[in-house]
Amino acid sequence: MSEQILQKCQRFIGALAHMRKLQMQVIKADEKSVTVVLPVQGQLVSNELDTYMHGGVLTTLVDTATSLSTIPALKEYELCPTLDLRIDHMSAPVASQPMYAHAECYRVTRNVLFTRATVYQDNPSKPVAYAISTFMRPGSGNTDLAFKSLVDGVKETI
Amino acid sequence: MDLLQQRVNQAHASGNYQPVIDLIPYAGVLGVHCERFGEEMIFRLPCNLDNIGNPTIPAIHGGVIASFMELTAAFQLTLQLEHPALAKIIDFSVDYMRAGLNRDTFAMCTVERQGRRVANCSIIAWQERKSQPIASARGHFLLDSFSSLT
Repeated sequence: MSEQILQKCQRFIGALAHMRKLQMQVIKADEKSVTVVLPVQGQLVSNELDTYMHGGVLTTLVDTATSLSTIPALKEYELCPTLDLRIDHMSAPVASQPMYAHAECYRVTRNVLFTRATVYQDNPSKPVAYAISTFMRPGSGNTDLAFKSLVDGVKETI
Repeated sequence: MDLLQQRVNQAHASGNYQPVIDLIPYAGVLGVHCERFGEEMIFRLPCNLDNIGNPTIPAIHGGVIASFMELTAAFQLTLQLEHPALAKIIDFSVDYMRAGLNRDTFAMCTVERQGRRVANCSIIAWQERKSQPIASARGHFLLDSFSSLT
């Protein structure tokens, strides 16, 4: 089951241009949570300043991870738009280490999904940021069928 | 921070803000631009297929929009501080109001209050017209370059 969820998450992330650009990967996914990694990469490192290295990109990582956490929370895949996102930054991440986001969808209602995430580097018990995010459910039948088949891994070309 | 001071001064003098923006690598990855209109700065995120996060509409990745707004606030603060320093983000909260379509996106930051250590910022992002924002955000930034969050 976890393997299927992981593959579903990987197909989703693989379909997004910006995720490919940042080489973001889902490394763990089960019924409850997903973990996404942002690898160390030259395009995000500045030779001139050693501060604010991950400026902005942490936000993209969190949005991706919380969005992915809606996949195991729903029986059928639904493409849920983000309603809001809030991030608390506890310390500045360093550029020399990959950044991980662990996200879970802790409540599903008829219309809304509630998610939370922690972002860490070397030590999961010492997060650099906490986040909460809510998503709207589009309602059944309102997700693009070709995209749903792609995420579900059904052999139909998009 | 001499490099930053120098870049900011040059940018104000020449009106070309790209060297300041290039200091934050992710801003370059996204393709952020900045233009000054009198006292106001408008940031632009050009239409770019690499920024897509919803291939069905297609729409810009929500995280890209939020990051763009966060960078807008960080740059706005850096450019208006008397002694420029890259402001450290404390928290950031964004409301998404409309899908960001695959076209140019603009953002402006209003510094609601600038204290000695913290600045309160509000940011809006729009595409067609400013009166129909695609997202609005609020964020707090730590200004004191000697303070540390760690």
